Amino acid sequence: MRKVVVLGIESTAHTFGCGIVDSDGSVLANVNDTYIPTKGGIHPRESSQHHSDVAPKVIRKALAEAKLDLEHIDAIAVSLGPGLGPCLRVGATIARALAVAYNKPLVPVNHAVAHIEVAKLTTGFKDPLIVFVSGGNTIIAAYSDGRYRVFGETLDIALGNLLDTFAREAGLPHPGGPRVEELAKRGEKLLKLPYIVKGQDVSYSGLLTAAIRLLREGHKIEDLCYSLQEYAFSMLAEVVERALAYTEKEELVLTGGVAVNNELQRKLEMIAREHGAKFGVVPKDLAGDNGAMIAWTGVLAYTHGVTIEVEKSYVRPRWRLDEVDIPWIQGADDKEGR
Amino acid sequence: MKSIYLGFKGQMIKKGAEAELYLIDFLGLPAILKKRVPKPYRAKELDDYIRKARTSHEVTMMFHARMCGVPVPAIYDVDPEEGVIIMEYVPGPTLKELALGGYDVASLFRLVGFYVGKMHVNHIVHGDLTPANIVVPETEKPFFVDFGLAERTGELEAIGTDVHLMLRALESTHYNKVKEFFEEFLRGYREVVGARVERVLKKVQEIRRRGRYVEERRAKVY
Repeated sequence: MRKVVVLGIESTAHTFGCGIVDSDGSVLANVNDTYIPTKGGIHPRESSQHHSDVAPKVIRKALAEAKLDLEHIDAIAVSLGPGLGPCLRVGATIARALAVAYNKPLVPVNHAVAHIEVAKLTTGFKDPLIVFVSGGNTIIAAYSDGRYRVFGETLDIALGNLLDTFAREAGLPHPGGPRVEELAKRGEKLLKLPYIVKGQDVSYSGLLTAAIRLLREGHKIEDLCYSLQEYAFSMLAEVVERALAYTEKEELVLTGGVAVNNELQRKLEMIAREHGAKFGVVPKDLAGDNGAMIAWTGVLAYTHGVTIEVEKSYVRPRWRLDEVDIPWIQGADDKEGR
Repeated sequence: MKSIYLGFKGQMIKKGAEAELYLIDFLGLPAILKKRVPKPYRAKELDDYIRKARTSHEVTMMFHARMCGVPVPAIYDVDPEEGVIIMEYVPGPTLKELALGGYDVASLFRLVGFYVGKMHVNHIVHGDLTPANIVVPETEKPFFVDFGLAERTGELEAIGTDVHLMLRALESTHYNKVKEFFEEFLRGYREVVGARVERVLKKVQEIRRRGRYVEERRAKVY
């Protein structure tokens, strides 16, 4: 079969990215530009303004890196959701324009599916239990009978949001998560915080509130970071273990922006070992939001007949992972759910 | 106070994520010994605290549920320090196994809904309500197990979370029968809870919107 090359555009939150990937899974280009707020969290309008500003530069750079012209691209893939409406619309508008101007098919990609597929591509795992943790998502999922099914998730805020918000409250510079991890290494005392697990779900909002309260009480920042990570990751690890025991998957993969955290990796690796499962982590350059993962998922979708008419390519800010049909996986696991 | 059965090892019948289950002989009765094992991924002091708290909590909540007429195994003995509970052995497959085995379990879901309703009106929230935590003995009522995450509360939030957990377990594992099973569950639930079921369902909807795709929400909150 002839090699297919797809250009993917990512713009769901604070990153505008453009990736170019071929059907062998080779990443020909992966150029990303992340909006960093001067203070506070992501403002959707400001972030979308950033995306509009950097988009032409990012796309040109990706094409130059791949040494390709748009004529050589087989399809344009775009992350239509889930994410922030104003940000999504920037990526969608550009993708539609490219598709129309260069007469290329447009391929809709779900952002969460893309984080999963790029982790599978890079680890070589076929049918893993997936832990997807980022600024906006905390999802435990696995494939079954045509779709990724959600086995556990956060009941309120995402893991990355917990760490980033705490870091911001503590006056730590951007990026918050890695700073918390660094300080945590020097923590000595485990402070008491709420540990909230409900079935296969976790709840982080109470943990955030309690950690901020201890911060105001003047506890050592190193102890606080250590305790916050210990509680947050142990809660997640517990529900991951439960899902692993429940689904009996033989592979466990960690993906998303928070996947780079070594302590989280260490905890999940222990669980995988305990249950005789292989453990893998998405590489650092493909962990956070990026264009390459959209392009790769675009390859999978396009080669299995998934395209969308430009007129119908609305953004879907709340597009759920378990709503997406996955036609490119066959016979991986059809045991459950009869 | 140490259990006289500590050190006894029966046949391990299940190794779950949190605990190991052994089938033992308790004064001539077949019994389940449930042992919460240490988790190496957690800091030791946190791990010790969680195992001890959940063990004593589980026993207390099982007792409360039993007092309300909900089928749960009888407690024979407990040792929180060791994370050990000895309880009645209820033989039978789980509701998850029955459903996946293709058995007609719709009427069982009605009974499950009925007993969950009983728990909720008596301010007991199970905390890990899934078909895998319901044992179905032959010609008997469904028995509820795994009360380690249960809570004594009548708050709508906690009750809604319980119902959400059941619905999500159906979606992830019994996705072709979600509607049928959940309708039966609600039918039984309504028999006990009455019109209040609408408020619970509204809460479930709110909970389900909350956790997912908080990027959108975060912009408003922070």
